[in-house]
Amino acid sequence: MNIVVCLKQVPDSTQVKVDPKTGTLIRAGVPSILNPYDHYALERALEIKAKTGAALAVLCMGPAQAAAVIRLALALGADKGVLLSDRAFAGSDTWATSYALSQAIKKLGKTDLIICGQMAIDGDTAQTGPGIAFHLNIAQLTFCTAVDSDGKKVTVRKLIDGGHQTMETALPALVTTTMPYDYKARYPSFLGAFHAQEKPMQTWTAKDVDADPKKLGLEGSPTRVGRIFPPPARAKGEVFNGSPAELASKIVDILKKESILK
Amino acid sequence: MPKIDVITRNLMLDSLKHYAKDNISFNFLREHDAKNEMPLELIKQMYDPKILGLHLLLIPVEYGGLSGSTTDIYRVCEELARIDLGIATSVFATFLGSDPLNVGGMPEQKAKWFGKIANEQLLVAYGATEADAGSDLVSLRTRAEHVTENGKVTGYKITGSKMWISSGGVADIYTVLAIAPGGVSWFIVERGTPGFTQDAHEDKHGIRLSNTAGLSFDEVYVPAENLIGLTEGQGLRQAQAVFGYTRLMVAAFGLGAGEEAVETAIHYAQQRIQGGGPLVDKQGYMLKLITPHYIRFEGARAFIDFVAKQLDDNSHGLATEGAIAKYYATEEGNNAAEHAIQALGGFGYTKEFSVEKIKRDVKITCIYEGTNEIMEMTIYRGRWKEHLQTRGKYYQDWADKLDAAHAKKSDVGADSAALALRALAKILEECRLQKLTREQFVTFKLGEMIANAEVAAVFAQKCADGIITEGSRFDLAALCAMSRVLSREAAFFVANTGIKYILGAGAGSAAELNAAVSMSAIEDKMSGLIIDSDLISAKLKEIFKK
Repeated sequence: MNIVVCLKQVPDSTQVKVDPKTGTLIRAGVPSILNPYDHYALERALEIKAKTGAALAVLCMGPAQAAAVIRLALALGADKGVLLSDRAFAGSDTWATSYALSQAIKKLGKTDLIICGQMAIDGDTAQTGPGIAFHLNIAQLTFCTAVDSDGKKVTVRKLIDGGHQTMETALPALVTTTMPYDYKARYPSFLGAFHAQEKPMQTWTAKDVDADPKKLGLEGSPTRVGRIFPPPARAKGEVFNGSPAELASKIVDILKKESILK
Repeated sequence: MPKIDVITRNLMLDSLKHYAKDNISFNFLREHDAKNEMPLELIKQMYDPKILGLHLLLIPVEYGGLSGSTTDIYRVCEELARIDLGIATSVFATFLGSDPLNVGGMPEQKAKWFGKIANEQLLVAYGATEADAGSDLVSLRTRAEHVTENGKVTGYKITGSKMWISSGGVADIYTVLAIAPGGVSWFIVERGTPGFTQDAHEDKHGIRLSNTAGLSFDEVYVPAENLIGLTEGQGLRQAQAVFGYTRLMVAAFGLGAGEEAVETAIHYAQQRIQGGGPLVDKQGYMLKLITPHYIRFEGARAFIDFVAKQLDDNSHGLATEGAIAKYYATEEGNNAAEHAIQALGGFGYTKEFSVEKIKRDVKITCIYEGTNEIMEMTIYRGRWKEHLQTRGKYYQDWADKLDAAHAKKSDVGADSAALALRALAKILEECRLQKLTREQFVTFKLGEMIANAEVAAVFAQKCADGIITEGSRFDLAALCAMSRVLSREAAFFVANTGIKYILGAGAGSAAELNAAVSMSAIEDKMSGLIIDSDLISAKLKEIFKK
């Protein structure tokens, strides 16, 4: 079985600040990380690889420095990595990006299972994974918390209102993963990081994957971003102190005042 | 086998950071600090090749390690110091303890011991220091007598004692310096060897998570094959060969601990509202307690990395450079932690906040691996020799290079750094003419001046070349502003200190000395000092905003 995991390098959103005057992100001094949803997806793929002996390739579109997230994946156990990097990709929206990635997957050869993180923490669109499935014309299962495969079919678990849902489809298929709130990402040992240097890693351009230039970059992107701005800050809450009984009656008073209780 | 590249180095540092975040809470550190307890299990876990395998960095690839370069190891040391200097010291003890083997071991010795250290996650201790032999190893007393069989030396009996040995009470393997009939030599002694005992863990001011203990040897038998290098009398050479390198690691400790302390302070300053605004907006607070430290950290980082890269390019020794790095970065780390307590006011003085512990911890970096007074002497001796051999041209030639750098890029303060080096050349020459180096205190001060001038010069050169040192969080514009401040400070400090102590020693005339060091030119450069400092404060506010 051949598995491909798609990765994105993103700014560590826990450290990104928004300039309140211009509304733009302040990127100075902010480190780049592997998108946490993709990290989770990668770990699920590594589990399937451990069980089935599947070959695992990772694919990332981005500038040269995005090689760092591929190296991380290799250090954790992926077999090979491809960085899709070309000025022609600059400005691509999720539609153009999923097209480019699908072209790269075609070039990788027979692929049975593609796993993507549900979304990237810098864009929050959750469109790229489904876009790839569309371009490849294969089945897709999205927002999964667990993924399992025997090489013929893929079984996933999804969180739904009031319980879990189990779904299954024949391969080839694409799965996107969400992650549990208490997910702690695994990081490689020093030895793992060291040996990742010897694993195969290539950089491909738009031409290498036979991508149509008209479908890439700004020209190939139908999305137009009007404005990005942080939501207005919420007014500061009020803190009350006192015994439980005092506080309970205080809460009732407030609820009555706000006409929530009559 | 490849060398560790930058991406891999950063992956390793990330793994270490995440490991610490998940496993080493401040409460964990506080409890062990209060109990004066080394977290042995944690260290073993950090050595576990499946988890981190930290110690593999010092082991050559051919014996199952990673052959970490000086750059790799100093960067890990800096990160370890940010986590906890006691833990850092425990790890460093293994690095240091293995060094005699790395430097002087025969291939079969390396295969045997490095293999064991790598696979069994063993802790190693470096047994050199004695009651009367600290920085002065020549006064060593521990002896290794021959044990012979049919006239052939088959082993040694070691007798003596060692003190203040890091991991002394917990290590599995010890490299021990002793006087053999053929001269001072290193021996490998395993824990549990009959006659070898370890004293109780010392009750120290800081680094209480690092075990420190004395060692006693009562006719401890070791086979001849445990003599490192299999030739007697190589010990002092083997010990001194790595000073440039080991002192760089302690420099990284000072840098890491200082950064951690001041980063805590700046986060506090962002949140603490006094007099209608956050402390981070108060110029006096920032320029006194916070901003100068970031400037000196970046100077120290540039210098440490500059020396590390030379050691990695097969330059040997660099004892003077290692001493400058150690002296500058650890003095700075210690001062920074002191100011971090002040910056947090009453909070800083409590054990609830990490800065109190960091201040106690970081003090050791001014003491171990050679006290900073020994560093001042080492720095002075090294450069005094250069000054004499080049007939005073050493710093003048260097200043010419900085003038060229200034011509290339005029906003990095290379002109001020050149003035600092020229003033230094004049002061050294005046000391030679007036025979002032007979005053030991003057030589200490020369060491201090040299360290400040060289760090500023290296930093300015890097900025002029557009190089951002690995691990820096600042962009080039911010680094250039920092370099402008640091170079001005260095020039002012060198000129004034030099004049002060030449006159203080009863030599020279104030007017002539002021002219000789170009004091007015240096004073003219001070224009813009505060504007540049404010610029850096604003950058700090932006980067460290929570």
